[in-house]
Amino acid sequence: MSYPTLHSRREMLRQSAVGFGSLALASLLAEDGVRAQPSLDPLAPRPAHHAPRAKRIIFMFMKGGPSHVDTFDYKPLLQRDHGRPYPFDRPRVTFASTGNLLGSPWRFRRHGASGAWVSSLFPNVARCVDDLCFVHSLHGTNAAHGGAVMKLHTGADNFVRPSIGSWVTYGLGSENRNLPGFVSICPTLAHGGVNNWGSAFLPAVYQGTPLGNASIPAVEARVRYIRNDRLPTDVQRLQLDRLLEMNRDHQAHSGAEPSLEARINSFELAFRMQREMPEVEDLSGESQATLNLYGFNDPVTANFGRQCLLARRFAERGVRFIQCTHSDPLVQWDQHGNLRQGHEAKAREVDLPIAGLLTDLKARGLLEDTLVWWGGEFGRTPTVEGGGMDGRDHNPEGFTHWLAGGGVKGGFHYGATDDYGWHAEQDPVHIHDMHATILHLLGLDHERLTYRYGGRDFRLTDVRGNVVEALLA
Amino acid sequence: MHRRHSFVLVLAALAIATAPDAVCAQEKAASPEQVRFFETSIRPLLVDRCQKCHGPKKQKAELRLDSRASILKGGESGPAAVPGYPDKSLLIKAVRHVSDKLKIPDGKKLSGREIADLTRWVQMGLPYPETLAAPKADPKNWWAFQSPRRPEVPKVKDSAWPQTALDHFILAKLEAKGLKPAPAADRRTLIRRATFDLIGLPPTPAELDAFVKDTSANAFAKVVDRLLASPHYGERWGRHWLDVARYADSNGLDENVAFGNAWRYRDYVVKAFNDDLPFDQFVLEQLAGDLLETKDVAVRQRRLIATGFLSLGPKVIAEVDEKKMEMDIVDEQIDTVGRAFMGLTLGCARCHDHKFDPIPLADYYGLAGIFRSTKTMDHFKKIARWHEHPLASATDPAIKAAHASEIAKQKAVIDELARKPTEETKATLKRLRDELAKLEKSGPTIPTAMGVADGVVVDAAIHPRGNHLKIGKAVPRHVPVLLALEHAPAFDAKTSGRLELGRWLVQPDHPLTSRVMVNRIWRWHFGDGIVRSTDNFGTLGELPSDQALLDWLAHRFTLPSPLGGEGSGVRGDGAWSIKAMHRLIMLSSTYQMSATADAKTKEADPENRLHGRANVRRLEAEAIRDTLLAVGGVLDRSMGGSMLHVKNRDYLFDHTSKDTTSYDSRRRSLYLPVIRNHLYDVFQLFDYPDPATPSGDRATTTVAPQALFLMNSDWTMKICDHLAESLLKQTGLDDVGRVRRLYVEAYGRDATDAEAAKAIALVREVDLAIQKREPNLDRRRLLAWSALCQVVVSANEFVYVQ
Repeated sequence: MSYPTLHSRREMLRQSAVGFGSLALASLLAEDGVRAQPSLDPLAPRPAHHAPRAKRIIFMFMKGGPSHVDTFDYKPLLQRDHGRPYPFDRPRVTFASTGNLLGSPWRFRRHGASGAWVSSLFPNVARCVDDLCFVHSLHGTNAAHGGAVMKLHTGADNFVRPSIGSWVTYGLGSENRNLPGFVSICPTLAHGGVNNWGSAFLPAVYQGTPLGNASIPAVEARVRYIRNDRLPTDVQRLQLDRLLEMNRDHQAHSGAEPSLEARINSFELAFRMQREMPEVEDLSGESQATLNLYGFNDPVTANFGRQCLLARRFAERGVRFIQCTHSDPLVQWDQHGNLRQGHEAKAREVDLPIAGLLTDLKARGLLEDTLVWWGGEFGRTPTVEGGGMDGRDHNPEGFTHWLAGGGVKGGFHYGATDDYGWHAEQDPVHIHDMHATILHLLGLDHERLTYRYGGRDFRLTDVRGNVVEALLA
Repeated sequence: MHRRHSFVLVLAALAIATAPDAVCAQEKAASPEQVRFFETSIRPLLVDRCQKCHGPKKQKAELRLDSRASILKGGESGPAAVPGYPDKSLLIKAVRHVSDKLKIPDGKKLSGREIADLTRWVQMGLPYPETLAAPKADPKNWWAFQSPRRPEVPKVKDSAWPQTALDHFILAKLEAKGLKPAPAADRRTLIRRATFDLIGLPPTPAELDAFVKDTSANAFAKVVDRLLASPHYGERWGRHWLDVARYADSNGLDENVAFGNAWRYRDYVVKAFNDDLPFDQFVLEQLAGDLLETKDVAVRQRRLIATGFLSLGPKVIAEVDEKKMEMDIVDEQIDTVGRAFMGLTLGCARCHDHKFDPIPLADYYGLAGIFRSTKTMDHFKKIARWHEHPLASATDPAIKAAHASEIAKQKAVIDELARKPTEETKATLKRLRDELAKLEKSGPTIPTAMGVADGVVVDAAIHPRGNHLKIGKAVPRHVPVLLALEHAPAFDAKTSGRLELGRWLVQPDHPLTSRVMVNRIWRWHFGDGIVRSTDNFGTLGELPSDQALLDWLAHRFTLPSPLGGEGSGVRGDGAWSIKAMHRLIMLSSTYQMSATADAKTKEADPENRLHGRANVRRLEAEAIRDTLLAVGGVLDRSMGGSMLHVKNRDYLFDHTSKDTTSYDSRRRSLYLPVIRNHLYDVFQLFDYPDPATPSGDRATTTVAPQALFLMNSDWTMKICDHLAESLLKQTGLDDVGRVRRLYVEAYGRDATDAEAAKAIALVREVDLAIQKREPNLDRRRLLAWSALCQVVVSANEFVYVQ
């Protein structure tokens, strides 16, 4: 049988090479010792703009907006002035109306050699503070969940733009050719939904692959269509062999078409992916000690614990961007009321698993080149919401995120909110700056990571963003 | 191993083919991708890392690296680069530090990525655009901003080939390059192409047969007319327009609530295409249907529904800053109108003068005044409420009044009793109150449609840098000055100005409207537009492959009166008739070519910009699904209406992330709910466009998850079960007959003997392999045939149309 010649690289790129199909092509070539042109394979690992400090990233997204003044941003004056009016100007627009200052119901203590203040909500994460790099002066632009979640994930809150995971995968490619480069475990479908892991105008190959969604327990979270309950693998092999033969015959008739070739390969890759994905999800090789480290032995922590353990397993296999989402089907971290009970319950679910992940990554030497990122779409107001005594409103004006591992300073604190925790005051860091810094740690220059669409070059950071050099180790 | 080597051969051939190809390419002009690559990756690198020593100020080693010519001229050691051959280029050797003599004397070694970029650039043939893609000429002279003039129909050598004037344009270009058009497609290929093209479904075996046997001269014209008269035509082509209209059944963005009445706009579009509503009318109705005078209630309602076009955009409806929300909604409308009708990215001018197109900030706010004077929202308080038009029928008000008076009566009775409540009346009172509650709920609801009306007429103030908190000077409502030509409309002080905007857009000699639309039609027929950037005709868009052809089509499209003649349709050419445009295109030799080209044509025109052959095209998401349903014999062909499972304005997704949308339907894909932020995953897999932005050009990607869907989804397997059942039910057929039937249904052709034998062998093998799992003989037989069907519908021949 004779095989077609491809007439132009551009023809191939334009028509087809945006999928696992071409990846298979490239990998077959690599196996035969021929160097594929990097541009032929959209998911091939690409050299970074500069030496990366982290090769991959795990983002632990706390949906709903955890309160910084009740967790990692200790405000003694807030405790002292509980019940008094907030003495400074309030933001021009707020989501809801709030009353006077509300002292935190939780006790803060100093932890670790760095002496970081952490509240009693996070006793286990508190053990890891010497590895954490706190940004206490993060601020965004949107006081509603939808806009704020999209801003955090895509850098935009009024347009559909590619998610940060897609940008990173577009910039760096993937290190595992049998798995997607970007996975999102149990993502929320609300407030931007798929846009938060979508690729928008970037080629589809860079979009995140979701495992389940936030309404599904992690143990049931699967990539869509990864399993066939009807036909055994050997029957599928028979089908694929016949399919290949038919496609070859068809091609011999219709002439050379790169798109046809790419589609043939996509089936072979799908076959490999459906073999590899269950291996990631199969935790039978993990020791009981490891499972306990992530909280599998407690029903309260087991769910997020599984997300965290899956994250480590994806990280080990070279997946570039891994997101876990903590979002129960009801109100998540969004305590407009019922703050005490709500935050207590939420923190219990994630505290041990997060500490477990950090400990495990460190023990395995993975924390050195894995960046861990923790935070919500905004923080909460230091004032009490409405007429109640037990709730806080959304606060995008100043809140805390932390980073750990790959290239950031451990036991470090950057920036500060005002005396009560409302506005980012000292060294404010905008979401765009956070994005620029994360891209920088991964070896990407946020000003050069561009994609031309509809007549102009787009960036994750739009026309803004500064790398926060002080965070870099 | 055998297969592996074949890939190596392909790539080796590719690598060899690339270099010389690239060299030629540079002698033309840098492609937009090359420009982008150069401007983002190469120019900054040359400026930062090279030109300090090898630039206008210093020329170390006599070398300058600040123009293509100076690089080719080189310095003391000879030319710095050989276009297309990185390994022979001193520049590449130097940055790789392969030898001490050649390495860059001072400064750091370039990063791996920078070296890779430079290497790729040399490989491309050193495209070195002079300045950042800025138009060299005054944008005033940009081709797309001049009115189309009727071009001369070119002369051709081979007078036998053209069937229409259109063919002259195509053939003339081919002949100029010494190329020949591909031979005509065979009839089975042609009817399959035309049927998918016009109705998005495959031809039935009977239709195939009839066309193959029809010996009359106008056999194909009859097929085209039959398809254009089919109600499925509007479903197919209406869907194309819905891509442009960023149609969706939910808001998406921050709060994903149901656009419970959006379907009325969708059905309006389907009907507009089926009725061949002239495109100028179609534009006017969508922009200003509420402002067009008519006494006919049905026409009035249709036009109110049409204005849903302006209202369908995604909105941040929980935005706490009401002023920002208003301006964001106006912005979305300007951007959509710009892209949909003019192929312009007007949104860029919200913050600054458009960098590339002649749209200054003032022109943007001139348009913004029109949409700020338009009432899209009833209010902006969170959760903000979009406006809907009541669609009262003649009897509705009377029914409503009757109902209201009944409620009033009941209330009066209750009030009377409640004045002096006694133990006896207590029970009666409760009963009456319950009845009242029921009555109030059961009231007749007057249907409503999303749409806009005129609001308070204002001129918009410029917001410098797009910041709605900064107020600059107010600009009167106006259309973009440079595009207005001599037709700048005067705006009425009492109305929003949408009608004036619409009338200006559909001037026959408007430089963009007709061109953009005929280009869209061309794109939807052929897979590529004459201007490939269908939504950007500005200076950063692509140039037309043949402007004369585009202008000729635009001119025909806008001819004032029907000509008759061409085709045998209801109307002749022109008069903005889209169906006439289909006939004009489909009855040409160009459309009827086969996809197989001789090697010379392919070599000379790999991207088929000259139309020397037909394009092989993958079916779109909807066509794949509809065809599977049709071939499986279970397609529900009923039309119109809503399939949304939640009430208007209710949440599709709230905090719960529970996806309650059902796609378990056998109706055509067009009618499935389009949920922004959470598209039906089958659609998303197969490149359905993002319904948040207007799009006239769908991508075709090939990714492994598509294969997983076909291999593993219950949906695919169920369809294949239906197909297998229908084959096994045919008692008059033996197994070979069944395979033949399957091939005709799926591919529109007979199976060869070898194909039939192999198919039957696969059925037997599968049957044998699942013996233990499935002891029931009939069930096993069904599974085995279903497995065969799955292979047949997964094959390239099924999803690619020649």
